[in-house]
Amino acid sequence: MASVRKSGGDNLLVRYIILVSWAMVCLVPILWFLTIGFRPRTEIIVPEPIYWPTWSLDAWRLLVSDWPIALYLRNSILAVAGSVVIDLVLAIPAAFALARYEFKGREDIGFYILSTRMMAPAIVAVPIFFLFKNIGLLDSVWALMLIYAAINLSLVTWIIRSYMLDIPKELEDAARTDGAGDLTILWEIMIPACLPGIITAAVIAAIFAINEFLFTLLIASTSKAYTMSVALANFTGGSDGVIYNAIALVSFIAFAPILILVILIQKHLSRGLTMGAVKG
Amino acid sequence: MAHSTHTLEKGAAKAAPAAAVYSIRRPRSATAKKMFPYLLVGPAVLYLLAITLYPGLFAMYQSLFVVKFVNWSWAGLGNYTRIIQDREFWAALANTAIIGGLSLSLQTIIAMTVAFYCYRDPFVRGWRIVFLMPMLFMPSAVAFIWKLAFNDGRVISDLLMSVGLVSNNVDWLSSVWLARLTLIVADVWQWTPFLFIIFVGALQGQDEEIEEAARLDGASWGSIFWNISLPMMRPIIVVAVTLRGIDITTMFTNVYIMTQGTPGGATETMSYFIYRQGFRMFNFGYASAASVLMLLITIVIAQTIVKRAFKSGKS
Repeated sequence: MASVRKSGGDNLLVRYIILVSWAMVCLVPILWFLTIGFRPRTEIIVPEPIYWPTWSLDAWRLLVSDWPIALYLRNSILAVAGSVVIDLVLAIPAAFALARYEFKGREDIGFYILSTRMMAPAIVAVPIFFLFKNIGLLDSVWALMLIYAAINLSLVTWIIRSYMLDIPKELEDAARTDGAGDLTILWEIMIPACLPGIITAAVIAAIFAINEFLFTLLIASTSKAYTMSVALANFTGGSDGVIYNAIALVSFIAFAPILILVILIQKHLSRGLTMGAVKG
Repeated sequence: MAHSTHTLEKGAAKAAPAAAVYSIRRPRSATAKKMFPYLLVGPAVLYLLAITLYPGLFAMYQSLFVVKFVNWSWAGLGNYTRIIQDREFWAALANTAIIGGLSLSLQTIIAMTVAFYCYRDPFVRGWRIVFLMPMLFMPSAVAFIWKLAFNDGRVISDLLMSVGLVSNNVDWLSSVWLARLTLIVADVWQWTPFLFIIFVGALQGQDEEIEEAARLDGASWGSIFWNISLPMMRPIIVVAVTLRGIDITTMFTNVYIMTQGTPGGATETMSYFIYRQGFRMFNFGYASAASVLMLLITIVIAQTIVKRAFKSGKS
């Protein structure tokens, strides 16, 4: 075993050159963007890039004084958390049915749910805009919540279904002979047993919801319903152009919690990202 | 594993007393039993129908009209005959395929190379977190990172000048291929991690004893990868690349923030085309017609490639 580990990649030099180079490609833009957040605006959009800036908290002051950053945060959190709750309430029973019951059309229903993930947001953008306009939900966090839930429902259902398929049937059979009803089995056995899958699904759904851009752009027309993702695109100050230092700060405010969540579910990430198709 | 068995036992133990309550209930009729799974899956399906079928039908209906604000005038198939003669529509379709295809190929190659070199490295856990990071940034923020690096902050030009690759500032939005390149770089940077994390997981999960045996037979690391790992990973690669490929075809945020389709529409993707027709030019009927066409393409792809990918992935 040790010999495999040591000789891996055959040539250690080549291996580390490749790994370190790619690590730099990943990290350098992030670190550089972090310095953008802590420099004055005069040192960002310049003919000659400035690599060693004067440090300043201008962006932070600007964010607090000129932009309702707390409101954007609240909108993001409310819409994202609400959408994840909707997803779990709808997806857990659906996943249970798809994983455990024989019924006519099961395959087709499952594939229909999956296929909604393939639909480009732009395809339904115009009709969804009119739909929310007609029911008076434009520029509202509630509309965003409903949309985010719809975008992630397929993913959440399929991830949870995949984890439910792994639970041994004997467990359920034992409870059934004791007289447990279907819902008891779902609540008392299936949900606790596939909790890691449910958490994974919730985290991935939350990330996609935080990132959502197109629908938010169309639905949130004023800062009343802006989320962080779309608020960023509006950090422009007329003749001053794009306010990059504020954008950088806000993006790191969103990045930090996501990084922590993802590290927590790291082991389940590839299964989650493939909607349960890849186990490992 | 030990942990999950523990939770399982706890679940079973808790179920027992509750079961007593349920057993007094009268047994459900056969129809009720038959309907039960539909009741479970029904709410989710209805929700999705509301957000896909309704808009799909709406788009089909609206695509038959010329819509000017509140005035809808019947156009029959007029929008469709116009659109199939619209060079911008075909350009958007081609751009989506070109930018998406190049970007997806690059991501796949890089992700596989990096995964191959790190999956038995002693620091693999650390590498995984580092290589994952670009994916955890909001896409709109990533678009601004690259907009600043390429255009507004001239950093890339400056770096290329300092190593002598170019002699003066490059205007990235002035040429078709340079503008496309900026979109490809942004997408590759952000989404290579998606494929990497799936590939490295698959390689790590592979049976070490097979590798060990092959090593003892004198096989090189590279030949183990080509002859053993890669064939075993095939279904996983298909699923991962399919999912990524689908997402690439919806590219919008980067176009909106970085290029807005310039120069001359060379970076306009299908999503941006629909957005521009609908929400910039207010040709809602026309945008709907484009949506319907894109939906048809999606359905064909979903029914063929995706269905097959997910079937093979499960086995």
